[in-house]
Amino acid sequence: MKRSLTSIVAVAALALATSACGGDSGTDGPIKVGAINGITGLFQTPEVPKAVQAVFDEVNKAGGINGRKLEFITKDDAMNPQRSTEAAIDLIESEEVVALVGSSSAVDCGLNRATYSNNKIVSIPAVGVDATCFTSPNIAPVNPGPFKLITAMLYYASETLKRDKVCMYYTVLPGSGGGIENAIKEWTDITGKSLTVKDLSVGQGDPTPYLVKAKAAGCQAILYNAQVGPWFAQAATQGMTDVDFIMGANSYTDANAALIPAKINAYAGTEWQPYTDATLPGNERWSKVVDANKIQRTAFSQGAVMAADVFVEVLKGIKGDITRESVTNAFKNMKPIQYPMVGTPYVFGPGNAHNPIEGSRFVKVLNGKWQVLPEGFIVPGKN
Amino acid sequence: MLNSIIAGLTSGGVYALLGLCVVLTYRLVAVVNFAMAATGAVGAFTMVSLTEAGLNVWPALILGVAAGAALSGLLGAVLVRWFSGHDERTKAAVTVAIYVALMAAGLRIFGNNTSGARAFPRPFDSPAFTVGDVVVPQAVLVSLAFAVLITVGVTLLLSRTGVGLRLQALSERPETAQVVGIPAPRLAMAVWVAIGALTTLVILIVAPRLGGDFSTLGGLIATALAVAMVGAFRSLPLTLLGGILLGCLEGFAAFWEPVQQYRGVVPFLVILVLLWWRSRHEVWDTAHSR
Repeated sequence: MKRSLTSIVAVAALALATSACGGDSGTDGPIKVGAINGITGLFQTPEVPKAVQAVFDEVNKAGGINGRKLEFITKDDAMNPQRSTEAAIDLIESEEVVALVGSSSAVDCGLNRATYSNNKIVSIPAVGVDATCFTSPNIAPVNPGPFKLITAMLYYASETLKRDKVCMYYTVLPGSGGGIENAIKEWTDITGKSLTVKDLSVGQGDPTPYLVKAKAAGCQAILYNAQVGPWFAQAATQGMTDVDFIMGANSYTDANAALIPAKINAYAGTEWQPYTDATLPGNERWSKVVDANKIQRTAFSQGAVMAADVFVEVLKGIKGDITRESVTNAFKNMKPIQYPMVGTPYVFGPGNAHNPIEGSRFVKVLNGKWQVLPEGFIVPGKN
Repeated sequence: MLNSIIAGLTSGGVYALLGLCVVLTYRLVAVVNFAMAATGAVGAFTMVSLTEAGLNVWPALILGVAAGAALSGLLGAVLVRWFSGHDERTKAAVTVAIYVALMAAGLRIFGNNTSGARAFPRPFDSPAFTVGDVVVPQAVLVSLAFAVLITVGVTLLLSRTGVGLRLQALSERPETAQVVGIPAPRLAMAVWVAIGALTTLVILIVAPRLGGDFSTLGGLIATALAVAMVGAFRSLPLTLLGGILLGCLEGFAAFWEPVQQYRGVVPFLVILVLLWWRSRHEVWDTAHSR
């Protein structure tokens, strides 16, 4: 009896000791950092964890942070909700990461926001996809996100291109309808203008009926976010050469530029400096990292390098032990960081919602390639 | 509204083509082939991958069609060799399994709809004529002509030629056909290969209008089945009509705001209504005949 009591006490003491140091990866071993990325499944960003790892390797080669190496643990959620929640719990409880850096998952924010808040851990995603990435107390992505981008795209159409009849033909992911309405309202509040046509029902299938409707409504600029190939092929057939089509960042890929017929005016709003021009401010750093490590040049890899850079800078400013608690405090109390690859400074801050990056640069298709337009970052209400 | 319906008509021709491929497979080898569009998509993407790699369009087209035909032939071989004695439901279930496998593999090999959007050749995109505000491209006339050609050609083949007679025998009673000396397995394989080649061509025609990525093209089977339902999986002229009708319905759905959001549901509604309509006089527990 006495022996079993002793063993219970010993086990309890061990458990207490384990929980006491839980979440800080110790204070002398590697600093563990996690991420949840879509590597397989419908939303694939395999280049993101590779780019974050490349930045951390660079830091480790230079001696690490206060002599401690950064250890990066990435989990593929395959856009599967169950895998995403399991990944978050595994990273926080088993791996005891101090923060999540460079996540790029279509489902992570919505599913894991409460887990991050409950565990008092911060997440700095490379790519914030859904609305919850920008409305949660412990998440602050390094991209403007689809909704701030919509406001910037509308602002660009009405104020820079000076189009009076601005229309929107969008396909909406479940749960993002409210975010789109807010983005349109923000544009209306700034400019006093409203949409000529708003159609959020665009899906797969022949786009001709939508294009014919847009023609009849006299749309001069059309915001569009769905499939590129059929839409622009049919727009060319319908003779819509005097309309400015403005696409979201999801369409800003080399493959899509090659699909746009020559006579169509097609623009895209970017979330970072356009990645197709490595000489733009901030892009030198990114292109050096991705080229040296043979990582695909995409906008998502820009977010990865930025998220990792911001994290390292904040970590370097921490005095004392680097633990989950000290990292969370450092982000909640950080000073804004000027990062030239985006339109506004990055800051995490103490609030319950975080969308620090605003503004967009615009590119236009010319002969099957993206050309960067000269206006610089368009920040609604400030240009 | 008329503009939208005419705009919908432009996709009706390609829907008709897809439906005809389903009906043909069913009439000739008695299989509801859920993997049909995915098989055609593999052929179409093979062609596009070859042209992107620098191959001339014609040899790429031949190789792409051959790939679609070979894959369909493989599926046919599986069904003929291992499932010839099974009923239609089992055969359909096999094609569903193949469909799921092909979609997963195709998505992995050819990419998703952002990274995988490919530049399919658009030889018929020039305007043919204009009705109201709608410019009708040549592709519409080509797909409608192709659909009429298949309908008339196959009807004549089945009703006026010896091969057609054998094909019908094969479809209705494969075992009996074999007993009377018709080389059923070989004929069935030929049909599968031909359907694979035809489907690849159809997918290549529809790709520029309906989507340049694997998941969209493979998923067109839902529309194809809805169109085939209109023809009750038997009548080629009714299937042709069904395709055009479904295109117009979709055009109308895009115009009419209350149903706009549910435009993608139209094929399923058509299936549901037709099933209900056709079964309204049926008596409980009677055997269904095809």
